Amino acid sequence: MKSLRIVLLILSVSTLAAAGDNEFRGVVHAIEGHYSIHHSHVPLLGFAMWFARPAGISGVKLAMFENFRAHTDSEDVSRLVENSLGPDWHPFVRVRTRNNGKDQDDSNNAETTLIYVSPAGGKLRMMIVNVESSEATVVEVKLSDRSIKGWLKEPGEKAQDHHRSQTSD
Amino acid sequence: MQKKWLWILLLASPLLAGAQDAQIPPDIQKLSARAKETVEVTMDGPMLRWASKFLSADDPDEERAAKLVANLTGIYVRSFEFDKEGAYTSAEVDELRSQFHSPGWSRVVGVRSAAEGDNVDIFFKLENDKMAGIVIIAAEPKELTFVNIVGPLELDQLADLGGEFGVPKLDRKTLKHAEKAEKGEQK
Repeated sequence: MKSLRIVLLILSVSTLAAAGDNEFRGVVHAIEGHYSIHHSHVPLLGFAMWFARPAGISGVKLAMFENFRAHTDSEDVSRLVENSLGPDWHPFVRVRTRNNGKDQDDSNNAETTLIYVSPAGGKLRMMIVNVESSEATVVEVKLSDRSIKGWLKEPGEKAQDHHRSQTSD
Repeated sequence: MQKKWLWILLLASPLLAGAQDAQIPPDIQKLSARAKETVEVTMDGPMLRWASKFLSADDPDEERAAKLVANLTGIYVRSFEFDKEGAYTSAEVDELRSQFHSPGWSRVVGVRSAAEGDNVDIFFKLENDKMAGIVIIAAEPKELTFVNIVGPLELDQLADLGGEFGVPKLDRKTLKHAEKAEKGEQK
């Protein structure tokens, strides 16, 4: 009986993810098309998120791109993401870190986190695109009231924390 | 004839580019290539209006912040952190400041700390004798922050806005300078 509940849970979460918003899929397809890569499947992501969901967020959608070797420039990625998002999405925070000891003009050595938001009613959806020299991730989340207030108060610091957690892996 | 249009387009393109991103001086973006870390916060009008409705009227701090941002057109913050001192020159900061020495703008604060090397400049934009925007340029030896708050805002509200919406907190000394300067302007 317990295993049936787990299977139902996985199926329900997978269905929700598949029925996700067009914007998320649009950004993923735009990156795939532009850089000629495919996102990696994350097995049992929905199941894992059910147990290890960070506080204050819900509706997580994630796409990971590995072996991301294309020459990336944060301006290029911004344009790509902005073109695939609709007018309801607004640029919010962008964090760019240059790797130490590398040629400062080489954009391959930069790590960029782009955050766009779509506010509607009492909800805030956030699209986070992280691009490093060898991998990229696209995450969409819905924020709780408390999380929204934290992001409104200190958007730069929150984005830096997220950026550092992504780039220190 | 076609060549003439090509020339017009070529000559007009920098102006068009400037008009698209007028809130941020184009020169400041160049610093990003030299910075160890660049943080850009953009809160445009729709986002600020949404935030003002979202913040609770039951909490006095949130209510004050909501009133503040409801009428603003945008808050734009660009912050650059450098590996070492001297990564940007004083001439570059002077060039940045000079863009706000134009009609409609007045510099109300220029605080210089010789010991710590911290410099803060605050510029007000006045339209029909009313405040229509504030620009803050804070230069530290290894950090440079540019803030552009577009829209009606009073000086005492600037203190309230510090620490919210990505706007850095200004110290008391700087705010006192600004208040004195504002009173001087009003006389």
